[in-house]
Amino acid sequence: MAEPRVVQLTGVHAVSALGRGAQAQLAGTPAFGPVRRFDTTARRVTVAATLPDAGTLADELAAAIDAACRVAGLDAARRTGCALLLAVHGGPAASALADQLAVRCGLSGRIRVYTSACVSASTAVADAATLITRGDVDRVVVAAGYLVEPDQFALFDAGRALADDGVVRPFSTRRRGLLLGDGVAAVVLESRAETRRGVEPVATVAGWGRAGDAFHPCQPDPTGAGLARAIGAALRRAGLPPQAVGYVNANATGTAQSDAAEAAALRQALDGYAGQVPISSTKALHGHALEASGLLELVVTALALRHGELPVNAGWAGPDEACPLNVILEHPRRATATHALTLNAAFGGANTALLVGTP
Amino acid sequence: MSGVPGFVLSGFAPVVVAVAERCLRRRYGTGPVPSQTRTGVVLVSASGDLVSAEHVRETVESGGRVGPLFFFQSVPNSVAGHIAARWGLRGPVVCLSPTGDPYADGVAEADLLRYDGDADEVLLILIEQAPDTPTEAVAVLLGGGAQP
Repeated sequence: MAEPRVVQLTGVHAVSALGRGAQAQLAGTPAFGPVRRFDTTARRVTVAATLPDAGTLADELAAAIDAACRVAGLDAARRTGCALLLAVHGGPAASALADQLAVRCGLSGRIRVYTSACVSASTAVADAATLITRGDVDRVVVAAGYLVEPDQFALFDAGRALADDGVVRPFSTRRRGLLLGDGVAAVVLESRAETRRGVEPVATVAGWGRAGDAFHPCQPDPTGAGLARAIGAALRRAGLPPQAVGYVNANATGTAQSDAAEAAALRQALDGYAGQVPISSTKALHGHALEASGLLELVVTALALRHGELPVNAGWAGPDEACPLNVILEHPRRATATHALTLNAAFGGANTALLVGTP
Repeated sequence: MSGVPGFVLSGFAPVVVAVAERCLRRRYGTGPVPSQTRTGVVLVSASGDLVSAEHVRETVESGGRVGPLFFFQSVPNSVAGHIAARWGLRGPVVCLSPTGDPYADGVAEADLLRYDGDADEVLLILIEQAPDTPTEAVAVLLGGGAQP
């Protein structure tokens, strides 16, 4: 009988205001500061997490893909035929960017471009895992990027979505919204058979799920039913019970309704265990990277498992009874978790859950 | 063609809603979709909502303030969510920018979601906006209700 195909993360790389490289993303101090990249004088909020020396999005993405491929030990021959799934903000330039990156990075397999707002990257990872387990491909590069720029900043400001106290406080009392942040990441996913060439995997993608709220164009379902179904699908796919999850990197943006809806989803999906599993949202450290958030947070989650150190939930001002969760406070928590969930949600009621495992 | 509550200026959302409604009515009458059926939405567009994006860009460049409705109008997920809420579509919401034939990209994504079991069927919407030409869209329902 054929061995089931297991999806492994063999190369990861990420860039955010926390720093360059995957390891830099484990820093525990929020990276927010005044925006100097463009004029914010007409905005209510003037703070974001930006990397001072960020290049163009195309250059940062190409560098991230190259770095992730190097970690995975992919030489030019092994990149040939490799698929590229890219998550970026939509518009006429998106597919041209993907074509350009494929040529620059020597990836000649299928290309797909995800523009599903804040679940773009996590959906791409779920799709990559499906393509591998279905046997369509042996290797996929997923890349995602968002660099804080004036148009989205103005839109989030106009929508009063940004935290006007300059702090992201996931699941906390007095949370006042999100802050944007740079995020560029790339990962290499491969079937276990492919990784037998001797590369040490960073993590496995053990399960994944995608589900819709069917509730509202831009508000989350307060019952969390859609996200709960995504979590349930990820656990079922992995064949694991809720108690196998040792950490949750939450979507929590620091927004009143969204964080409460996510807490409700966790209670539905994990039952009583929702109040026990250690949880944090690393958006309080690196900001919300929109289309790239799912991939940046996947990299953080995979490395947190690998190092046995769970990231802190920064910005905490006190408990909120709508979010009765085991939030990681003050400093990172040592743990021996073998599996972690990383969750994302977006406008349109789109939800994803990725279940990461130790190799 | 009627407008869509909460969506302004651009024909993108009204056209998406019009083709989606027409498609869903043929299968489900006045709706909603039965609760045991998970219908995904795959929206494929190279242009995206060009009219809204241009308006935001010009407003920001001139130092003005954009209207708050453009906040959620700036991503195609939102109109997909409008349709999902109206019809009870509980499957995944996925938006793509096509890299080749838009229909082939959309069908491949729909096939993946159905294979994976996250969707029983998929409402595929293709839409393009271009300057000085009417917004064009088509919708098709792929798959057939809940899987046994």
